[in-house]
Amino acid sequence: MNNMNKLDHLLKRVEKPGRYIGGEVHSVVKDPAAVDANFAFAFPDMYEIGMSYLGLQILYHQLNKRENIYCQRVFAPAVDMETLLREEKMPLMTLESKTPLKDCDLLGFTLQYEMSYTTVLNMMDLAQIPLYSKDRGEEYPLICAGGPCAYNPEPLADFVDFFVIGDGEEALPAVVEKYIECKKAGMDREEFLREACKMEGIYVPKFYEVEYKEDGTINKLCKLYDGAPDTVQRAMISEIESVDFPVKPIIPMVEAVHDRSIVETFRGCTRGCRFCQAGMIYRPVRERSKDRILDLCRQSLENTGNDELSLLSLSTSDHSEFESFAMELIDYTKSENVSLSLPSLRIDKFAFEVLNKIQEFKKSGLTYAPEAGTQRLRDVINKGVSEEDILTSIEQALELGWQHIKLYFMIGLPTETYEDLDGIADLARKIMDLNFKVNGRAGGRFRLTVSVSNFVPKADTPFQWAAQNTAEEFAEKHNYLIQKLKIKGVTFNYHDNTTSSYEAVFARGDRRCSKLLYEAHKAGCKFDGWSEHFKPEAWEKAFEASGIDRNFYTTRERSFDEVLPWDIIDCSVSKKFLINEAKKAVAEQTTQDCRHGCVGCGINRRVKCQMDGILGGKND
Amino acid sequence: MTNRYVIKFSKDGYVKYTSHLDMMRVFRRAFKKTGLALRYSQGFNPHPKMGFAQPLSLGYASRCELIEFETQEHHSTEDIMKKMIGEMPEGIKIISCQELREDVKSLAADADAAEYKIWIPSEMTDEELKAALEKYLAQEEIITLKRQKKTKKMAPVNIKNMLRHLEISKVGEFAMIKALLDCGSQSNCSPELVIASFCESAGITTPRHEMEVERLNLYFVSNLQF
Repeated sequence: MNNMNKLDHLLKRVEKPGRYIGGEVHSVVKDPAAVDANFAFAFPDMYEIGMSYLGLQILYHQLNKRENIYCQRVFAPAVDMETLLREEKMPLMTLESKTPLKDCDLLGFTLQYEMSYTTVLNMMDLAQIPLYSKDRGEEYPLICAGGPCAYNPEPLADFVDFFVIGDGEEALPAVVEKYIECKKAGMDREEFLREACKMEGIYVPKFYEVEYKEDGTINKLCKLYDGAPDTVQRAMISEIESVDFPVKPIIPMVEAVHDRSIVETFRGCTRGCRFCQAGMIYRPVRERSKDRILDLCRQSLENTGNDELSLLSLSTSDHSEFESFAMELIDYTKSENVSLSLPSLRIDKFAFEVLNKIQEFKKSGLTYAPEAGTQRLRDVINKGVSEEDILTSIEQALELGWQHIKLYFMIGLPTETYEDLDGIADLARKIMDLNFKVNGRAGGRFRLTVSVSNFVPKADTPFQWAAQNTAEEFAEKHNYLIQKLKIKGVTFNYHDNTTSSYEAVFARGDRRCSKLLYEAHKAGCKFDGWSEHFKPEAWEKAFEASGIDRNFYTTRERSFDEVLPWDIIDCSVSKKFLINEAKKAVAEQTTQDCRHGCVGCGINRRVKCQMDGILGGKND
Repeated sequence: MTNRYVIKFSKDGYVKYTSHLDMMRVFRRAFKKTGLALRYSQGFNPHPKMGFAQPLSLGYASRCELIEFETQEHHSTEDIMKKMIGEMPEGIKIISCQELREDVKSLAADADAAEYKIWIPSEMTDEELKAALEKYLAQEEIITLKRQKKTKKMAPVNIKNMLRHLEISKVGEFAMIKALLDCGSQSNCSPELVIASFCESAGITTPRHEMEVERLNLYFVSNLQF
């Protein structure tokens, strides 16, 4: 029986079979045999999650608009489907043409969060592809990976043939074209990798060997191939205005988590929060013009029939033309019966005007992210928001009739003390008092949610040297906050401690963590981001089997001169800047938003930053 | 002018694994995209006037899916066809569009019977299959388990009076059953009940997931035809 018939039999026995069928409107049909390269784009989570991700649509479009390349999708099958695939010994296939992944030329994973790494391995295993690069011969596809987590690629270094670091719009098609060129010239994979590693943004881990010191830290990185670069420059598109945007995205048939049109308004952020990886690795800010944004919104809605539109960026209201396009967009979406969402809005006077206009009757919820409970700690993390800002704006929200406010905080930030935790409770109490002041007894329906997540230090941030709290310290802090936040009308949420510390291992892990991942995969770990699938006992076994000491990666503070596993990657923000920021953090000194004047992050060594001082100087 | 229409489409290939609710979304989106503005129901929570004549089980193919809807403005059926054809996912083929008579309340309420083809991989010969069907139909009662709507429990039901016509023949490696069954709000018989009871009676042990079902036609009390 052929695979098609067999697949048909499987689909009759699984939940939501629509996840595995492809054929959606705007999905691309080509003959895999008639193209020069078959690229399988793998999202290491389920269909509903992956299909909400704009990056997939961007790269799918960028690859498929080239006639000689066929990009097809694959997602992680749910557990019921996995069981059947294994029982029937069927290899994991692409959605579009049901081509087994092992028959593709390249298999590319997008790395959005560290806790998806075991799913990456599981998908390779389901595809019947050997996990370790060294075990794969010419008959197997090349494995590549990209996305924000690729800025520290080392934990996956043993499994992945090459990483694409940085913006993928140009770098990914370029490396696939290079593959085609090499294949046509009769080169083997080794020869292709030698060519590829000379391209911007391409990192081939096997061309380097890591030498460790006795204390376990890295002594140095030795090049095994002379042609490989000393550091890999991140790929960067110089502007996004003219870059093709997927206005005809694939329309998921099984409802995705976010079933809506998404338009990216700008990339990058100028605020310089010291914990934020995205704020560093997506520099510089590159904006789309107002006209282009409005046009893309219109096209995306017309081409999809979506009734929801969301703008995407790291800080919606920071766009230099925000006020003007927001108002136009609100009028347009209203006339089209489309609901508009503007995430990560800075809540100021204009934001209220906007929100009032969007949610005329329905005042759903407002979310603030002070991130830390005291001004001192907010200065440490360079979160440029004061308590007064927050309270003034919340008072306004209460007056306008909002009934639900959410506050986001992180705990375990560098220099944090219990006074900072008290600050969280104080702020909550002040907001409840404000509610009483504004609404009196009628304010009884008001709800305040305080959400706390655990700080995970990330590569390429000023806190990349910092120690993370232990799981026990997190637990103590949670318990402390549970007591402190026993306030009528306040709900307290917090995250699991174990996942935060595993996440931290991989966020700053080195090559030795490949072994840990392998053991975790063997012990059955997958979908670690889903609490119902997360297996702490299996992970414990994996730590034991691999001999990895998690504290070395999590709770250990690094010195500035330590060689870091991700030093091989040049994210274009200078290490000097990061060190300086780390020092200023400890000194509780803030750094201004670069739109008030350049702060010297180093991006200007590569491109001319357009944001430098556009808001004029500010004395701080 | 009522501006009521019925689109007939077929569902074939992998798209048969798209659920009823997801199909509703496909059409809702297609109407929005093509600018065919639907009428909305009155009331506190208005919803577009659009609905399938009969839901189709997940995994079934069909040659006769009917969706009825009401638009705000009048359109020619050719215009609707032309617009909607381009908006369908792989495997959905729009066959026709007709205006719906005013006196018909709704297709869902008017549905009377449905015809299916059921394909069962089988080693039995044509004669053996015909004999098995004869024996099956000769039973005084045809009892099978059906999940109850309210209690969600399986309970025995007699489906004999819901089977309007059954025939069987050997086609290649398959036993092919053609079944005309009660369908609609008055009396409804799912092909699953026929499959389960016939296989039991005939001693067929083929797992359900190796069988295929296809809906061929829908019949209405008002004798409407699409």
